[in-house]
Amino acid sequence: MTTKTLRATALALAGALALTACGTGGGGDDSSGGGDALTFMFRGGPDEKAAYQAAIDKFTEDTGVEVRMTVTDADQYATKLQAAVSGNKVPDVFYIEQANLQSYVGSGVLLDITDQVEEAGVDLDDLWEYGVDSYRFDGTLQGTPEGRLYGLPKDVGPFAFGYNKTMLEAAGIPLPDPDVPLTFDEFRDIAKQLTVDTDGDGALDQWGTGLNVQWNLQSMVWSNGGDWTNEDRTEVTVDTPEFAEALQYFADLTNVDGVTPSASEAATLDTYQRWMAGEIGFFPVGPWDVSVYNDLDFEYDLIPWPAGSTGESATWIGSLGIGVSATSADPDAAVQLATYLSADPDAQQTLVDANIQIPNLIDVAQEWASAPDAQPANRQEFLDIVQDYGRAMPASFTYGAEWYDELWVNIQPVLDGKQTAADYLAEAQPKMQALLDESNANAEMAGGA
Amino acid sequence: MSRITAEPTPVPAAPAAGVVPPGDDGRSAPGARAAMRRLHRTEHRWAAAFVAAPVLGFLVFTLYPLGYALYASLTRWNGLTAPQFIGLDNYTALLGDEYFLKTLWNTAFYMIGIPIGLVLALLLAIALNRKIPGQTAFRTIYYVPVISSLAAIAIVWQFAYNGDFGLVNQVLAWFGIDGPDWLQNTATVKPAIIIMAVWKGLGYSMLLYLAAIQSVPRSLYEAASLDGANGYHRFRWITLPMVRPVTFFLVVTNVIAGSQIFTEINIMTPTGGPEFSSASIVYYIVRKAFKYQQMGYATAMAVVLGLIVFVVTLIQFRLNRRNSFSID
Repeated sequence: MTTKTLRATALALAGALALTACGTGGGGDDSSGGGDALTFMFRGGPDEKAAYQAAIDKFTEDTGVEVRMTVTDADQYATKLQAAVSGNKVPDVFYIEQANLQSYVGSGVLLDITDQVEEAGVDLDDLWEYGVDSYRFDGTLQGTPEGRLYGLPKDVGPFAFGYNKTMLEAAGIPLPDPDVPLTFDEFRDIAKQLTVDTDGDGALDQWGTGLNVQWNLQSMVWSNGGDWTNEDRTEVTVDTPEFAEALQYFADLTNVDGVTPSASEAATLDTYQRWMAGEIGFFPVGPWDVSVYNDLDFEYDLIPWPAGSTGESATWIGSLGIGVSATSADPDAAVQLATYLSADPDAQQTLVDANIQIPNLIDVAQEWASAPDAQPANRQEFLDIVQDYGRAMPASFTYGAEWYDELWVNIQPVLDGKQTAADYLAEAQPKMQALLDESNANAEMAGGA
Repeated sequence: MSRITAEPTPVPAAPAAGVVPPGDDGRSAPGARAAMRRLHRTEHRWAAAFVAAPVLGFLVFTLYPLGYALYASLTRWNGLTAPQFIGLDNYTALLGDEYFLKTLWNTAFYMIGIPIGLVLALLLAIALNRKIPGQTAFRTIYYVPVISSLAAIAIVWQFAYNGDFGLVNQVLAWFGIDGPDWLQNTATVKPAIIIMAVWKGLGYSMLLYLAAIQSVPRSLYEAASLDGANGYHRFRWITLPMVRPVTFFLVVTNVIAGSQIFTEINIMTPTGGPEFSSASIVYYIVRKAFKYQQMGYATAMAVVLGLIVFVVTLIQFRLNRRNSFSID
């Protein structure tokens, strides 16, 4: 009896081992999902999905290559992609974030597509330099023109500044010059004039602006001569006077000048909603906003960001890349799809017509910007940002963004006016430095592996 | 693929039915005895197969992940490449991680809700044990939050806690109280979440208490009344001791569940609250693992959390045994 039980148990154990071994070892071969179809994983809302569906239908028509699309919500994309990678089910073609490029290259997930793109006859000079270089990596630094190419830009996202033209005209304020940035002082003065109680009920219902520290502080810091790190991304430099001055200016807009909705007003209805309701004078505008903003009840246009002590506007350019899996069963077709989505004039036209992005191809973009019926009229500002004064987000090219996120964790007292910017930044710098050191060490380790 | 063949293996792999030694059973009714043996054997095999299913499940889905987690906690691992063994580095780093200590403290703070919830649940159970009109309706009302989706509840409470137009502050305003912006304020965000959690768990504890109270023998109360015990005495010396096992069960399960509080925090304060003041330990683990790809470090935290829960539960069982008693 007992021997039999033992035997059964032993068999059960053996079975369990076989099972787990299968779980880790198997499944590597069918990573492309079987069949001839390519798999393409991306993220976006309904507008983007529809636009990509149209572009990809055209691709299938032209090449005969079937594409199966997987689309996720923006905030779930990273998790789902990582799950796909851990499960050896990497899609053939997928979106890749700038900040994740190095770890995906280091772990051998991304294919080096430098040669294939060249053979395909794509002239990378036709694309925005920033967009292409974002996906170059030379083993140490990302974003340099010499690095090998691990992806193509899905788009570039210049984060521009806009104003409610209807509101300024109603208030009798001269419209800001589209070529000369406002100074910090000028911007504050206009914002003060716009902050009023329009219906006389004793509560403010119109504000000069309403900015979000995580997305708008960059512009102020940079145009004031500060930055997050030194050039080779080894030292955190948030404790400089220029940085502190910019952050203080940002916080004072709410606490001292009172030209933005208060924290609780913003919690009730965030400033994005208030801008769309016509309650806010100045607000950021990204290319992805245009399809929505064009339907609003007021007119708006783009201007350069207000500039601090340097007198030069600054802002960031987001970008998302399209990468190809290193384990794709059909890498040639996969690269073909990536280049098609990034650089084919027809595909670009489809995506641009959907108002979800600006053109990747420079000449298409210039034509697009000078279109007589352009809305917003100063579309050129988007291109100026990409060409002249836009920069990468501080953590785009580091190995992970934890060091960068650390700045936001304890920043609330500054925004509430309970702590000075300089004090806070002096506290935050060492913590961010430690995390950046760690991230650089991780990058080195991943590069060596 | 071997998943299909693995489980039934014990059955066909056992010796085939025909190999029973024939000479052994030559005396009385040889055929019948052999048949009995065969039957025994077959039944044994089937029994083993049935037992194997949960055992396999345990091995594959509990023991193996547990062992792997212990190993992963000793590595630097980003979830993409192979883990890299680094010894106890993750654990030493934990000691100096202020957010780890802060989230641990926050998690402990949330436990304040457990005694509050139990007292309220017991009082409610006693109240609803009386013959009052609409008794069933009340019991249902208190139980509705228990069966509602936690995510939906968290979103509703997020609205309720809004500083400007939230329900909570509107009610407070009737009494002339100017309520805070609950979820944006370091002092109120944890109490706000505790209140919600107590409300959510109330129905479940109440139901268990109700069942426990109803199973207390009437004779005990009658005897006590004859001895002159008043209502308080009967509660203190009969009801309370008699529901002790339920209290113990609720404390243990609530502590285990409470130490893993995550969903409501992630929904109501997606960034971990002002200055990380609402972030729980599991929230921090998830952030480290899936936002920053530090799987090894996150696993080390999970192991420490598991150990803490284990030790606390052990202490609870010890205390319970020391204080336990039996009637008759």
